[in-house]
Formats: sequence, C-alpha cells, structure tokens
Amino acid sequence: MSSEIDPTPARADAGAAGVAPGSNDGYLIKLGVFEGPLDLLLFLIKKKKIDIQDIPIAVITREYLEYLGSRERINLDREAEFLLMAALLIYIKSQILLPREQPVEPDVDPRRELVDRLVDYQQIKVAVGVLREREEEQSQTWRRAALTAPLPEEDLDLIEVSLFDLAESFFAMMKRKQGENLKVIQGKELSMGDKMNEILAILKERDFLDFLDYLGSHDSLEEALLAFFCLLELIKARLVVAIQEQLFHSIKVWLRKDAPPVLKGNE
Amino acid sequence: MMDKLQPALEALIFISVEPLTPAKMAEVLPDVPPEEIARALQDLLAAYENSERAIRIVPSAGGYVFSTKPEFDPPVRKLLQIERRKKLSGQALEALSAVAYHQPVTQAEIAAIRGVDSSYALHTLLENKLIKIVGRKEAPGRPLLYRTTEKFLAYFGLNAIEDLPSAEELKKLMQEENG
Repeated sequence: MSSEIDPTPARADAGAAGVAPGSNDGYLIKLGVFEGPLDLLLFLIKKKKIDIQDIPIAVITREYLEYLGSRERINLDREAEFLLMAALLIYIKSQILLPREQPVEPDVDPRRELVDRLVDYQQIKVAVGVLREREEEQSQTWRRAALTAPLPEEDLDLIEVSLFDLAESFFAMMKRKQGENLKVIQGKELSMGDKMNEILAILKERDFLDFLDYLGSHDSLEEALLAFFCLLELIKARLVVAIQEQLFHSIKVWLRKDAPPVLKGNE
Repeated sequence: MMDKLQPALEALIFISVEPLTPAKMAEVLPDVPPEEIARALQDLLAAYENSERAIRIVPSAGGYVFSTKPEFDPPVRKLLQIERRKKLSGQALEALSAVAYHQPVTQAEIAAIRGVDSSYALHTLLENKLIKIVGRKEAPGRPLLYRTTEKFLAYFGLNAIEDLPSAEELKKLMQEENG
C-alpha cells in the first residue's frame, strides 16, 4: 500500500535551485537528498562550475567517488544506481586514457552519451520546477465544482484512500482534540460488533459518513478509537469503501453497492 | 446580443459544474462566430484577473471554470476545514514530468531518463490517475506505454499538454538558471 502523495516535504524542491546553497565547498550533502546519480552529477557539475558539454571526467569522477566514499556502507537497494554511474564514469575515464592503435574519430567522444543523458535529465528537472510551482498555486485555489460533487459513480475520478490516509486523518483529528479535556466514560460496554452494525445502519439511512465528523462525534477517545477500528474492519471486509472525492478533500465512507446484505457474526 | 456576449459567457461559466468548453459555448450561442466568443472570453478572463475581486476564471482541462485567487487560500481552507496541503513527492513529480515530456513512454525509458528505477513512482502516479496506460510498445517484451491524463492537466491547472513550456523554453529556463 502506498501513500500516493508523499506527505513529507519535497526534498530541496527537487532541483538545481534547491542545491544551490551547496555551491560553497566545505560540506557534504547526504546522498539521500538526490533523486539519483544524474541528480548528484548535475549538482557536482554546478558546484564546480563545469561546462556540461565539456566535462573533465577525471575531476568529476573523483568528486563523485568522494561522495560515495563518504558513506560508511552502501545500501544496495537504494544506491545500486549510484554505483552503476560510478562504474560508467570510470569506464569513460579509462576510454579517454587508454592509448589506442588507431586515432579515435573526433566525433566519437566517449562522454557523448552521458552528456546527452545529463542534458535530457536537466530538462526534466527544470520541468519539475515548473510543475512544482503550478502545483503550489493550484493547491491555493479553490473551485465550487469540487464541493458539490455528486454521488460517487464508477467512472468518476475518485480516490479510494489507503489505510495510511485514514490513519493520518484520524491521528490529526486526535491531535486537534488533545487540547480538549477528554474524559473517560466509565462502565460503557463497547463491542466491535455493535459498533459495526451501528455504522452500517447509519450508512443505510444516510448514504455516506464524513470520516472525521463521525469519529469526532464520539464522547470519549475510547469510543472514537473503537469506531476507527470498526471502520477499518468494515473496509477490510469490503462492506464499505472510503473515498476522497478529490485530492485534499474530506474522506467519506460509503456503503459498497456490491456489499452482502447482512453482516454475519459479530467480529 | 453582441454587447452582452461577455456577461453571457460569464453566466454560462458560473452555472457550469464542470469546466465549460469553447465547444459548449458555441453550442449554446449558435449565432455568434467562434472567434468572437474566443475574443470575448479572453476579455472576460482579463477583466477578472485585473479586478480586486477574490475570484477569477481559469482554464482547466480544455474548459473554463471559476476559481478563487491564491491569496484567499487561508480563509477558504478554514471554511472547508482542510488543513493539510498534499504534494507529490519529488520522485513522483520527476517521473511525471518525464512522462509529460516523452509520452507515450515506457517504464524502462523513464528509468533511463532519470537514472533510477521508477516503478514505484509510476505506480503512485497511476494510482492517482495522473498517468494512464495507453497500450503496449511494439518492442521486445511489449512493454506498457504511459501517458498523462486529463486529471494531470486539472491538477496543474493546465488547459492542454501544449501549455507546458516547450523543450526550447525549458532550455531557456535552464540557461537562466545556469547563468
């Protein structure tokens, strides 16, 4: 399961602009901030103020290896691609250094392919910057259409939310509620089966539940938690579905149309 | 009718739930030449953009729709009780821009452009319906081909894929950045 939109802030806004502060020598940036080996290479090229069309391979290879070498160990899952690039750099360097029997054709520069890839990649990075700006602006503008969305139908552009989204929403709400004085109400018998039936009954009557409103309507933390787990259980049993009509909108819980009519058993 | 064209368009856009397309405008106003509609529409857009009002008309996935201006985000957010501001992750956005500029494109091609495995990023984008599978490439293994969707346009407030800066414009931006 994936959180489709990564809630963590984008690393240094994914771009050449973001790495600019590193252009003064003296500190190393963690490998993790780079999207990949091409990103790291572009960063080094920028840092050394190198002309991308005429890369001094020896210099850049040394710099690149220094970055990799600064790590105690390499996480092969994540960083194999960085090693691959190191191998490519060393290969290109060797191609340049090796004496040849026949003079190399001048237009067959062993760096050519890498340079083309770097230029292509740089273009994508610039596009990322443009898209990021637009995304930022879009996230600050609102339309009415989105608010009066009709009932979910199959072909509508709905996002079925993942467990993580639900959990995140829930915990965000609990955090908001933290300030309020929560009292534990004693002696109330709470059973998951009852609660699940209650949720299903409400859904049959009302079409949908607003996820946060519903959980927030409970008197005690205990009950809200129970309701939360019941909702998860119902989603798992494919009796209900949690849907976000649009990115950034509240999560609603609907009864599944294809759900079996009665909930069997208790838990 | 002619001098009322601009407010007429305003009314049509106002009442439409989905972005109103020029084709639909022409359908509703059959006596008005499309060029005239287009001109009135541009004037209307400019009038809103230059006004002190909080709303404006924006292009969206081939049509036009009313939207609030960014500076009124905080009160609107408060009203709607939406606090979080979700963003695409860096890797997802990078893969997405690779798809946008090289479509139709395979996973392997995107991985080659980015220099990193992109299967997870593509999965995320597919899940979010920002890209879609449009077929298979006639190449060994017949790999799937990806394209951006209408939702991609709407998400970034674009009218058409051509609204993205062209390769030349990107190059210019690149030089500005380097220079």
